[in-house]
Amino acid sequence: MTIMQDIKFYDCRVIEGSSTSIILDNGKIEEISRNFTRGAGVRALCGGSWGYTSVEGDIDLKQGVEAASKLAFSMNASTPKEDVELAAINSPEVKNLPEVRIDPRDVSIEEKVDLLKSIENNAKVKGINSTKVMYLESEFKVEYRSSDGIECAYELMNVGFAVSAVASENGVYQAGRESRFGYGYELFEKENVLELAGKAGNTAVELLSAKTPKGGEMPVILDQELAGVFAHEAVGHASEADLVLEGDSILENRIGEQIASPLITIIDDPTLHEFGYYPFDAEGAKSKRTEIIKNGVFNSYLHSRETAAKLGGTPGNCRAQGYSMPVVRMSNTFIDNGDARFEEMLEEIKDGMYLIGSRGGQVNTGEGIFQFNAEKGYLIRNGELTELLRDVSLSGKTLEILNHVALVGNDLKMTAGRCGKAGQLVSVSDGSPHLAISKALVGGA
Amino acid sequence: MYELAKKALKLAEKAGAEEAEIYYATNHSTGVNFRKDSLENAKDRFSEGVGIRAIVNGAVGFASTNSAAQIENAVEVAVAEARVRESDPDWVSLPSNGKYPSVSGIFDKKVETLELEACIEYALALIEGTKEIPGTLPTSGGFTRAKGKQLILNTNGIEIEEESTAVSGFVDVITVNGQTSTAYDFGISRSLDIDFFALGKNAADLALKSNDGIKIEPQKTNVIFHPFAFSDIIEEAFAPSLDADNVQKGRSGLINKVGEELAVPELSIYDDGLIEAGIETSASDDEGVPSQRTPVIEKGVLETYLYDSYTAGKAGLKSTGNSSRPSYTSPPSVGLRNVIVDYPQTDVIADTQSGIFVNTVIGAHTANSISGDFSVEARNAFTIKDGALDKPIKSLMISGNAFDLLKQITGAGFDVRKVGGIITPSIRVSNMSVIG
Repeated sequence: MTIMQDIKFYDCRVIEGSSTSIILDNGKIEEISRNFTRGAGVRALCGGSWGYTSVEGDIDLKQGVEAASKLAFSMNASTPKEDVELAAINSPEVKNLPEVRIDPRDVSIEEKVDLLKSIENNAKVKGINSTKVMYLESEFKVEYRSSDGIECAYELMNVGFAVSAVASENGVYQAGRESRFGYGYELFEKENVLELAGKAGNTAVELLSAKTPKGGEMPVILDQELAGVFAHEAVGHASEADLVLEGDSILENRIGEQIASPLITIIDDPTLHEFGYYPFDAEGAKSKRTEIIKNGVFNSYLHSRETAAKLGGTPGNCRAQGYSMPVVRMSNTFIDNGDARFEEMLEEIKDGMYLIGSRGGQVNTGEGIFQFNAEKGYLIRNGELTELLRDVSLSGKTLEILNHVALVGNDLKMTAGRCGKAGQLVSVSDGSPHLAISKALVGGA
Repeated sequence: MYELAKKALKLAEKAGAEEAEIYYATNHSTGVNFRKDSLENAKDRFSEGVGIRAIVNGAVGFASTNSAAQIENAVEVAVAEARVRESDPDWVSLPSNGKYPSVSGIFDKKVETLELEACIEYALALIEGTKEIPGTLPTSGGFTRAKGKQLILNTNGIEIEEESTAVSGFVDVITVNGQTSTAYDFGISRSLDIDFFALGKNAADLALKSNDGIKIEPQKTNVIFHPFAFSDIIEEAFAPSLDADNVQKGRSGLINKVGEELAVPELSIYDDGLIEAGIETSASDDEGVPSQRTPVIEKGVLETYLYDSYTAGKAGLKSTGNSSRPSYTSPPSVGLRNVIVDYPQTDVIADTQSGIFVNTVIGAHTANSISGDFSVEARNAFTIKDGALDKPIKSLMISGNAFDLLKQITGAGFDVRKVGGIITPSIRVSNMSVIG
């Protein structure tokens, strides 16, 4: 009881859910698996120290709170430091959840397997010698409660698929991939999944005869997916206030400064019904839209209750995978539409490269440098797309790229994915219209 | 839960499974983490759950749960899923050989009983180490200790239970004056034999030395990869092609290459589940097949792919003990054990007239795991002049191909590190393409 007097704050998140995955590999069902889980994460704050306990299975919350409190108390006793303050929040109103027309649990496994088979068939275009299709479905319920009286809950359902196709010729292997994620089984009606599968197959085959470019500095056009990855990886992460407080962000002390071309506005918005949607975050804070960069001016960090109290700002971006300790995260992050058409960009760039899609990337937020691998590219000669390229990558300095943006397109598109900060995967989406950049470092063979 | 796991095997048979397997895993970890130079939080995590494989008519179903109340349901779901599937002609059977080698050094009582106060001390040592180098600040890091237990039971008589411990430390450092440079260091071990103070000091030293980087011209040159950088490239661009599952499905760059000269003759690579105190060491793999030491590349020649019991059965071979699961929630698949990179060691930097030394790379996971092509950003890279590190390099991209790289290895250092399960010295590769 003596410990609890020193515990200024505690909260609990209980998550219960189930998930199904089906993997179809080269025409065969490789895996059908179903998972039922229940667990909780409990935080306690003592002075300037957090204690965190996560428990799986059948939970005794009272015991969890005591264990977390003991950790926080011991930490604070051995290394006392400045008290952590938390920005005040109100209980969120849970409304406007994504509508689900077809509950995937009402669809039989057989029907799902048949769908995957037709997706796979479509990916198997001439020249493809290996395919894989993955179906994922999860339903979960989150209940949140804190010592300062916040109490809220929601249920959400995700469904989606990913298809990959591999083509090979003379020892060269190339892959094409497509995926879509959403909120109800109707996703498979809304999206033309069979066409997407065909696209994955065609990409792999085309890439076999693609050239590897000579690297160097040049003007480039980024497609919506790659520019979205840039917005998320290079700008979004650097705007996460926990990284700023660690001294690990180039955007520290830059609020109000012109850091990008005035054409650039970057937004994080968890209220959109994209894959990064949530009604409230892992601290019970209502989700809300944040303009990170507005017309080139750095406008706001993304915050948890702790960072919002420290730096001034609004909480609502604290998230966790399952029962892990929540950290500041993005949701749906995108570069807002401009007004340029793709043809104008080609004219503007004249000689350079068009980079398409992403095979992932990494960023060093402290130094503001990044590296992304595109799925493919095209050489631009005299304002026209020419040879197809593979193994192309983009690297450089975040702020330089932001300032070298010459044109912003009017064709914003979002892509669903998962972000793995702090070893925790959470659902996100990112996007952008096409971007024309006057100078960037392209890597090749 | 543990008792229920044993009961679940009977339940599966009763529900109609011809063969069944219960994989039970529990883990308790305690971590102390810091932000800048002050401790921020302590975390205690308990996890426990079971994964059930049920086989009906040569088809496999899988379900998992961490809730005792759901075990019976999960067993039934696994059996029902198996019934939905068509019989798999490649399915042979669950493992049955239960004779296990003895392994040592994977469980340390001191780690199991480590108090929070001691964890705090180790985390503070990481911070103190960075303070030895003025002009730097830690940004984040922490110390974690963990204790785990797993039990594998199947209807063919497999019953193996193992306990293990691990400790790890990680520290990220940034320079505070002038140009910004960052660096990190980490260590992981089965027992408390890591010098955490030295990790902190080393990361800070590296960050500071990386300041005032120069620009270099695009060129082809000798590149020495630190164990961190080399293991990253091996794991992402080369190892996936060794996975027999990828080979059987046409997704490997090594199809039909067994017996071929793949690397320079001085190079050997072993996959080894038995080495003393290895991070991937255990008596059995994750489906109860006894662990073993497998020469993968011997004197430059590819000897074998890596198999679990399913892929081995399909190829008419014996499993190499490479069944692996990231968690009880996943069915087993082929994975690496400890991977040992062996090459004659010298003072490799001193033996290098000119070239580049690269500590870490970012973006290795974007490599093409089939073709082996990679393009990575080198971090904390330095020029080498007359056998010594010379100037830091500001920004550097390295492109290459993992299979070509194995044929261009010309040296290795004395500095062997355990990077998780990959155990390697620094490796020198000639004729690498770099863009500054």
